[in-house]
Amino acid sequence: MKIPRLITLIPVAALVVLALFPVIGVSLSWLNYLFLFFIYLALGNMWNLLAGYSGLICLCPHAFVGLAGYTLAIGTLVGVPFQVGLIAGAVVAALFALLISYPVFRMKGIYFAIGTLVLPEVLRVWFSFWRPVGNVYQGKGAGYAVKGIADITLGDTYWLGLAIAVASIFLVYIILRARLGLGLTAIRDNENTAASAGVNVFRLKLYSFVIAAFMMGIAGAAYYIFSPRINPVGGFSIRWLLMPLMATVIGGEGIEEGPIIGSAIVTFLTFLLAPYGAWSLFIQGIILLVVVTVMPQGIAGLLRQVGAYRFPARLLQAVEGRIYKA
Amino acid sequence: MEDFLIGLAPPIIKGILLGGLYVVIALGLSLVFGVMKLINVGHGDLVILGSYFAFAAMTWLGIDPFLSLFMGVPLFFAFGFLVQNFIINRTFRISLDAALIACFGISIIVQSLCQTIWTPFARSLTTPYQLQTFAVGPITISVRYILDFIGGLAVMLGLREFLRRTYLGRAISAASQNKTVAERMGINPNRVYSFAFAIAMACAAVAGVLQGLTFSFQPSSGPPLLIISFGVVIIGGLGSMVGTFIGGMIFGLTQTLGAHFSGGSMLIQNIVPFLLVFVVLSVRPQGIFGR
Repeated sequence: MKIPRLITLIPVAALVVLALFPVIGVSLSWLNYLFLFFIYLALGNMWNLLAGYSGLICLCPHAFVGLAGYTLAIGTLVGVPFQVGLIAGAVVAALFALLISYPVFRMKGIYFAIGTLVLPEVLRVWFSFWRPVGNVYQGKGAGYAVKGIADITLGDTYWLGLAIAVASIFLVYIILRARLGLGLTAIRDNENTAASAGVNVFRLKLYSFVIAAFMMGIAGAAYYIFSPRINPVGGFSIRWLLMPLMATVIGGEGIEEGPIIGSAIVTFLTFLLAPYGAWSLFIQGIILLVVVTVMPQGIAGLLRQVGAYRFPARLLQAVEGRIYKA
Repeated sequence: MEDFLIGLAPPIIKGILLGGLYVVIALGLSLVFGVMKLINVGHGDLVILGSYFAFAAMTWLGIDPFLSLFMGVPLFFAFGFLVQNFIINRTFRISLDAALIACFGISIIVQSLCQTIWTPFARSLTTPYQLQTFAVGPITISVRYILDFIGGLAVMLGLREFLRRTYLGRAISAASQNKTVAERMGINPNRVYSFAFAIAMACAAVAGVLQGLTFSFQPSSGPPLLIISFGVVIIGGLGSMVGTFIGGMIFGLTQTLGAHFSGGSMLIQNIVPFLLVFVVLSVRPQGIFGR
């Protein structure tokens, strides 16, 4: 029998421990924090895929999150089970990405960034005047409540969040090791050269954009199962852009473990600074500025630079050597 | 037919006058964008900070918003110089994306600062002359819209003459046209960038007062203003102050005429400017008058 390497065992062990948390009676507030961490992690991973690997500074995650949340809320209101609503939300987000891809991909670099920033504003205005279903007290500025999730416990949403986070990590892992990832990094480094080397720039960008929209949508919809009330201001809030952006930049843009480190820090900071109200964002903004100016590679980049991974790697090798000898 | 035309006059006049406000808001963004090829994503929030500064001067010290500009403009100028000198110039050495993210950080900081000090409630600069109107024939015009237009024209002309006639202004234009050659001519681009950002901030202070007189504001009003000013810049084309002025007029007219023809629908009035920006961006990303 082939003995699995320790380096693969460690994430699996961590996953098992995380999955057991609701069963062994970890306190509810911890589950809350971890759930938000999972959601930010999934968003951050997808933002990293776009900004760090495809060169698309996409400033519209809140469009995807809001659309998916609204799809879920409206779907459950007309009697669709929430599982279907969850998937439908992600599909709607992906379709929206497909719809806007042609106009937004005509814009390059900084124009792309601002063009995508317009979209959530349009959607927010649209949803504050639109009432597809429901009575006078629903829709428009008031928003919708997500129905049909009364028997869902916090443990269930926690597992859902965990599954989404793990799926997002695997997705990035697989994409980067496939032809798609290679083409994307080529586009990020130099779009014209990539095109002349035979990379279909439009199609590859479209793939990564739609995949990211799908995952962001499903993460957003999962958040609205956790916190079952959506309105235009909250659903299309710039917070949904802020969190993945800060997680990715603080952790390390274009580095796989970057969003994991970053979203852990961002979640931790959010709760550490929660009692200070708006100062919390103020301090996070300053941290963002310091990271961008002092260590542009983020924390993961800094760790790689100083060789912080070398010692644990050597330790693992030594332990493996002992085990295999025995 | 005549009724139709007379009905059309108020929205056209209001649109042109309102365009003046959009011009002031956009000029700071246009300057930074033209000189450094950087979109200052925090510009809308800086304008709102200007509104709050005037609000603070009015409520705490009892100074008229326009008089408070004598404090606000130098303060914002100094603040802008420091921000560009110590933060954004550093990030330029890394990449343009880093500079964009740094601007985003500034936006977060300014927004949360406003929220902490002045709470999230909507405020407005209430002055005696703010709500006055006067009649020209059958049309009534608000004083605040006239102020917007005069302000827009004055700031635009002032900035244009500054860029043409002074040494610093010419240095800024030179650095925006060709950085390398400007450097060979003995211009320190980083210093020029700092001054450009400082001037943009001073414009934001003026824009803040005018916007506070025209509309109510809250800490989160920044991003919509950013998009509006970006739309104005994109329509008017880069680097041209007059182009920005025309862009502002077009923008104001689109909004008021859109509202007029849709029978005053709030949805149309709010959504049309954004759609206009998006359509222009996707059809001609370099702007209508851009090269």
